[in-house]
Amino acid sequence: MKPGGIALIVVLVVAGITAFNSFFVVSEAEQALVVQFGNVKEQVREPGLKLKIPFVQEVHILDKRILDLDVPAEEVIASDQKRLVVDAFARFKIIEPKQFYITVFNEEVARQRLQSLINANLRRVLGNVEFSAVLSEQRAVLMQRIRDLVNTEAQGFGINVVDVRIRRADLPEENSQAIYQRMETERKQEAQQYRAQGAEEAQRIRANADRQRTVLLSEARRQAQILRGEGDAQATKIYADAYGLDPQFFEFYRSMEAYRQALGKQDTTMVLSPKSEFLKFLAPVQ
Amino acid sequence: MPWQNQNGGKDRGPWGQGPQNRGPQPPNIEDLFKRGQDRFRGTFGGGFGGKRGITVVVAVLVALWLFSGFYRVESDQQGVVLRFGKWTETTAPGLNYHLPYPIETVLKPRVTRINRVDVGFRSGGNDFTRGSAARDLPEESLMLTGDENIIDIDFTVFWEIKDAGMFLFNIQDPEGSVKAVSESAMREVIGKMPLQMALTAGRSDVQEETKQLIQQTLDSYGAGILVREVNLQGVDPPRAVIDAFRDVQAARADQESAKNQAEAYANDVIPKARGEAARIEQEAEAYKAQVINDAEGEASRFRAVLKEYEAAKDVTRTRIYLETMQDVLQGMDKVIMDENATGGVVPYMALPELKKQGGGQ
Repeated sequence: MKPGGIALIVVLVVAGITAFNSFFVVSEAEQALVVQFGNVKEQVREPGLKLKIPFVQEVHILDKRILDLDVPAEEVIASDQKRLVVDAFARFKIIEPKQFYITVFNEEVARQRLQSLINANLRRVLGNVEFSAVLSEQRAVLMQRIRDLVNTEAQGFGINVVDVRIRRADLPEENSQAIYQRMETERKQEAQQYRAQGAEEAQRIRANADRQRTVLLSEARRQAQILRGEGDAQATKIYADAYGLDPQFFEFYRSMEAYRQALGKQDTTMVLSPKSEFLKFLAPVQ
Repeated sequence: MPWQNQNGGKDRGPWGQGPQNRGPQPPNIEDLFKRGQDRFRGTFGGGFGGKRGITVVVAVLVALWLFSGFYRVESDQQGVVLRFGKWTETTAPGLNYHLPYPIETVLKPRVTRINRVDVGFRSGGNDFTRGSAARDLPEESLMLTGDENIIDIDFTVFWEIKDAGMFLFNIQDPEGSVKAVSESAMREVIGKMPLQMALTAGRSDVQEETKQLIQQTLDSYGAGILVREVNLQGVDPPRAVIDAFRDVQAARADQESAKNQAEAYANDVIPKARGEAARIEQEAEAYKAQVINDAEGEASRFRAVLKEYEAAKDVTRTRIYLETMQDVLQGMDKVIMDENATGGVVPYMALPELKKQGGGQ
């Protein structure tokens, strides 16, 4: 190849590299800082193709989106000395890239700073309220308060904390066991109560049935005695009316009837005197 | 190189989709020339050389490069076209064209797809059913209720992309955010509710309130996400105490059955007693009728006899007496003793002997 051709290629290559070095792309989700010898020259907030001085300036790309931050679970003591394990997370945004770059330099450091900030404020806020407040309408308010407190300090890093949320606020394992026991005994009580109520109702129903039976039968017996008495009375009157017509004859007649019924059986032995009325013809009259 | 600088040395792209340098490589002019020449020589046996060959190669490469701008947007997607990273256009499903890399790139979020996030368990498949291989995750599903009890809740959140731009450019980890926010929201809602209510009547309230809270929080992030539904998959007492809870159910059943048994007893006893009472009364009625009838019968017999007696008193009296004595004495052992014959001595009579004789007959 001719020397002119090689020179042309070299020039083209150098020009190309220079051109590439003068441009940089900031995407929709990013923001950038143009840094010259450690000094921030420019903040780029809008996406697109951007220009810079080649080789002299370098570009720092920072995220513009809402970033997530997980805070490791942490044991916190509420004001009533109850311990709880709080697992929180935060969402934050770099709003002042320059400030951010100067104070914390990169996301890594920012995350560490934020974590300790959030932890400290979690303790502060939750340590001032009773445990039951976390389990109430107040929870949202508490989370807001933590966010606001974190925010005042995070502003210094060019960060806006969009949200701090308690993901979990649970009791430590030992306390959970105590709760399980309480739940179990409560349920046992409840079950016992249901069974006892069942027995109560059953007794009531049975006793009521027994009472009704006793009343029914005694009423029937009363009625029966009344009827029997009426029958006896009427019969007595009928007898009296009839027998009263001739009491002497009744006595005789009824005695005869009674003899017939009461005596006259095989196993009766009668000792008779020949002088008796019945045998008066047996012995000659003296 | 400045082109790679835009990633700032991170290995994740700004959208978390891996390195940015997929697609055609940035044209390196030196390489391009060399490669073109090599290929040209290879094809034409090195006979031509010179400018014409290079021109053809460059033209083919440029054509290929321009052609690489065609892309397809599937029916559940939306094309988001970025020119040098700036969002310029949103395209509909079908075949579309964008200026080739590195001028324009396209992102294709699935906007109509409904995504699911499981909390408290992991389902086996990606289906919308809760797979049989569901694995419980107690650390996610156990939570405190408002009355300081513990409840085990598994739920699924269904969501879709509401605004592709917001979804892509506003938030770092949309799926992770949905999950974290869902967990937090559910705990917040359950934390205000007593256990019994959460287990029974409060179910639909929990779903609705949680859904709203998740939506509200995600909106505050500008996440571009629409929460379709929060679906409670299982609301149970914790496994450690579930037996006690089941026993309560059993106790309720026991209560009911004790009551039913007693009712059955009552239903058996009372009609029987009624029957018994009726029997007693009927017997008494019968007795009454019997006694009266007997009396009337006997009385009228007596009257009849009396009437005849009055007609001939002595004869009748004697006749009745003799007839009766005849009947009475007929079947009897009789001893006739004359006291004059014994001479006043009390006669010995073996009454037991006589009795035995009488019994022996």
